[in-house]
Amino acid sequence: MEKRETTAYCLNALLKAGAEQAETVLYNTERTELNYENGEINLIRTTVDTKLQLSVIKQQKLGKIILNQVSPQAITQAIEEVMTITEGAKPDPAHAFAEAQPAQNFTKGATTPDLDLMYQRLKTFTQTVAAQFPQTFLRNIYLNFTRSNSSFRNSNGVDFTTQKGIYHVSATFSAQDGEASSSFNYTGYSTLDLNQELLEGGSLRLLLQNSSRELHPIPLSGKFTGEIILTPDCLEGFISSLLGISITDAPLITGTSIFKDQLNQLVTSPLFTLYSRPVSPEIASGYFFTSDGYAAQNSTIIEQGVLRTYLLSLYGSRKTGLPKAVNDGGAYVVAPGEESLNTMIKGVKRGILLTRFSGGRPNRNGDFSGVAKNSFYLEDGEIKHPLTETMIAGNLAALFRNITAVSQERVNFGHGIYPWIASTGVTISGQ
Amino acid sequence: MLTDLSQYTDLFSGYTELRYQENSGLSIGFLQGDNTTNAKGSSGGVCARVYQNGSWGFASSPDLTAEGIRFVITTATKNAAFLDQKEHKAGAPLPSSVYNAKQDYSTTKPRLTQNQLVEFMKELDQYIAARYPQVTSRWVSLNCSEQKKSLITSDGSSAYSLLPQSFIMVNLTVEKDGEPISLSEIYGGRGHFEDLFSHPEDLSPEIDQLVEHLMQKRDGIHAAAGLKTCILAPEMAGILAHEAIGHTTEADLVIGGSIAGSYLNKEVASPLVTMVDFAHTAFGETCPVPVQVDDEGTKAEDCVLIEGGILKGFMHNKESADRFGVSPTGNARANSYVDEPLIRMRNTAILPGNDDLAEMIASVDDGYYLIRTNNGQADATSEFMFGVTLGYEIKKGKLGRAIKDTTVSGVAFAMLKTVSMISKEFKWLSGGMCGKKQSISVGLGGPALKCELKIGGR
Repeated sequence: MEKRETTAYCLNALLKAGAEQAETVLYNTERTELNYENGEINLIRTTVDTKLQLSVIKQQKLGKIILNQVSPQAITQAIEEVMTITEGAKPDPAHAFAEAQPAQNFTKGATTPDLDLMYQRLKTFTQTVAAQFPQTFLRNIYLNFTRSNSSFRNSNGVDFTTQKGIYHVSATFSAQDGEASSSFNYTGYSTLDLNQELLEGGSLRLLLQNSSRELHPIPLSGKFTGEIILTPDCLEGFISSLLGISITDAPLITGTSIFKDQLNQLVTSPLFTLYSRPVSPEIASGYFFTSDGYAAQNSTIIEQGVLRTYLLSLYGSRKTGLPKAVNDGGAYVVAPGEESLNTMIKGVKRGILLTRFSGGRPNRNGDFSGVAKNSFYLEDGEIKHPLTETMIAGNLAALFRNITAVSQERVNFGHGIYPWIASTGVTISGQ
Repeated sequence: MLTDLSQYTDLFSGYTELRYQENSGLSIGFLQGDNTTNAKGSSGGVCARVYQNGSWGFASSPDLTAEGIRFVITTATKNAAFLDQKEHKAGAPLPSSVYNAKQDYSTTKPRLTQNQLVEFMKELDQYIAARYPQVTSRWVSLNCSEQKKSLITSDGSSAYSLLPQSFIMVNLTVEKDGEPISLSEIYGGRGHFEDLFSHPEDLSPEIDQLVEHLMQKRDGIHAAAGLKTCILAPEMAGILAHEAIGHTTEADLVIGGSIAGSYLNKEVASPLVTMVDFAHTAFGETCPVPVQVDDEGTKAEDCVLIEGGILKGFMHNKESADRFGVSPTGNARANSYVDEPLIRMRNTAILPGNDDLAEMIASVDDGYYLIRTNNGQADATSEFMFGVTLGYEIKKGKLGRAIKDTTVSGVAFAMLKTVSMISKEFKWLSGGMCGKKQSISVGLGGPALKCELKIGGR
């Protein structure tokens, strides 16, 4: 059966089996991947996968089953099982599936990988790095092309299909000089084509340039409250952590959100504007429909410091009585600021240029702490030296409230676009 | 399930591994008393990996028919040939290693239905709701998984394994001055649900203790930042063993520049410290993640990493073992059928010592007792960090106030030299996962350690 036929068949079979509402999603994925490890391209992978997801609501009870065998016998057994586990669930009137929307077919990217071009780009990248950054050792690189197709249907009339083809590259590296070694660093990005050399995408060139400068780091002594400049690679993690404890389902349903009752109020510095743009042409990856069955739309999450939307699913919205988000978040784009990165660095009296943060999971009140990796000490407007054994601690909400500058420069990772941001009030401690 | 792969060996044209794997499981969750999650799933398929003159090819498919199996073998062979033709490495043949084994950790008890498990979890949730009204938020969940594998290699190895794991996670939050403070705990480990849990009320003492810690943490203080004398509880020592030392001694990381590469047969720790990556059995008992045969068909052997403070060895797959001129240790593991085997830890632990935990705490004048962690990361330089979600200050040999969430860090091979006491008590951490390219289950364990650590705080 074709994908749409399979989801239609499953939908009808679930309704016939007694489901009051049903949702069926079928994904097919094929990935071609080149692996480089410790000095050589050592592996080519071709992986094929299927995922069929069947969800049922009956008498306000929810059941879900996921399988990757889609023979008629496997589907029949899965339908029987999902109906049984649904019977045993506890009722919750907030369970629901998306309302009817116009049927849509979404497409993006190539249909097949160009393996010769992938090999050529990877080979050129490793040779260029060896020539231009001789102290940098490429630990591993993964270059893949993922072709994915999906069909999403539900019993309310939702009928979406998608075809996507995306290249993704990621690299882990460190610098070495005799017995001295820098901390490893990593980055990656997504792209719709391989028209440009790998080194020119995302922040690869920038981080590789910095890598050899991270050799021979020096620990700080003592403890002080200082300023911090977050790089684009680092900023993404801080944004995801902040949103995860403040505007998603779980913290809002349980009432533990630090942004509870703060819709349309100032929650960060007015210098900070954050979008989620899963269907923007500037985002190579992204997604076309939400996990609960709505066609995804771009949104403004924080506008000049004012919280414009929560990231609630349909369930979260029904549970809290607050509006449902128009997307699932992710694909974050931070608006550029007015200062150059150089000017921002010149403005720092004492602090850190934080390139990578290796930290514990932040608490629900936003407190975080961790180690500043691949980072540099800033004093009197200058980059002084690379750091080792230096810890930082602060609070996520305070960090975003205390933003003092956002850079004009940004990095497009294909899955998000981020500038450098400067903030204050972080505890920095060394030996 | 597909257990007999021997009929497909005629399709092998060189060094080839053919593996069938199915990962299945269920999850049930209650958020604030509502049954938000009630799901089950499975993902299975077949994969092949082929080695040709130093180049590897891999392919996988969920198609379990003869056609699907032929596809993965021929595609993996084609991929290896493509790379060989481009790279011309002229690599030597891999060392041969033949072993045949079967391991099945299934329960012999009658299995509960998912609906019965929903009732169990509901009862557990209701116990917390009724007994602890001061808990403002609760998330109670159950995750049961089963990993089935069949492997055959062109060397002649064959293996079958079935590894079930079951974990109950409880995450609780209280408030103080409008601020949420949370604490979570994972119960369970290797085995089907029926072998690990009988009645919801059996967990009451653990839940009571969790809430007691949470109430202490609610009134807790920020740790004072800086280098401190710490007692790491056994769970923390386990993550130290894995993150800070274990990763640096994986042979692929050693080749990639890990600092451990230059420390072989040198003193890297206090003479009190011995650390082993156990294959399947430790202290006469089965480990949390037992591996008899790895996914290259090599017999899994214990790997002594540190003995009496001296770095003794690294963890290997066939290729790295050949490069280092040693025998493979059976550390090549893959998490699912779409994954190729990588050098991974199995059950990494610091061995227990002769000290008593209470005496260790009593020996600290000003420091911290660190009990629970929620994540960790390490570097090839052996600099590590891990999050601390539960700990207490130690003042003049006595436990004091609880501390808020923090992070500890250090340089492992320097910090291990500060270890001055090791407890007799030993514990495996529940639910250990490692995220090196593929997320995979690992066992991590240890005794309590007295050491010097940098703590992040205010």
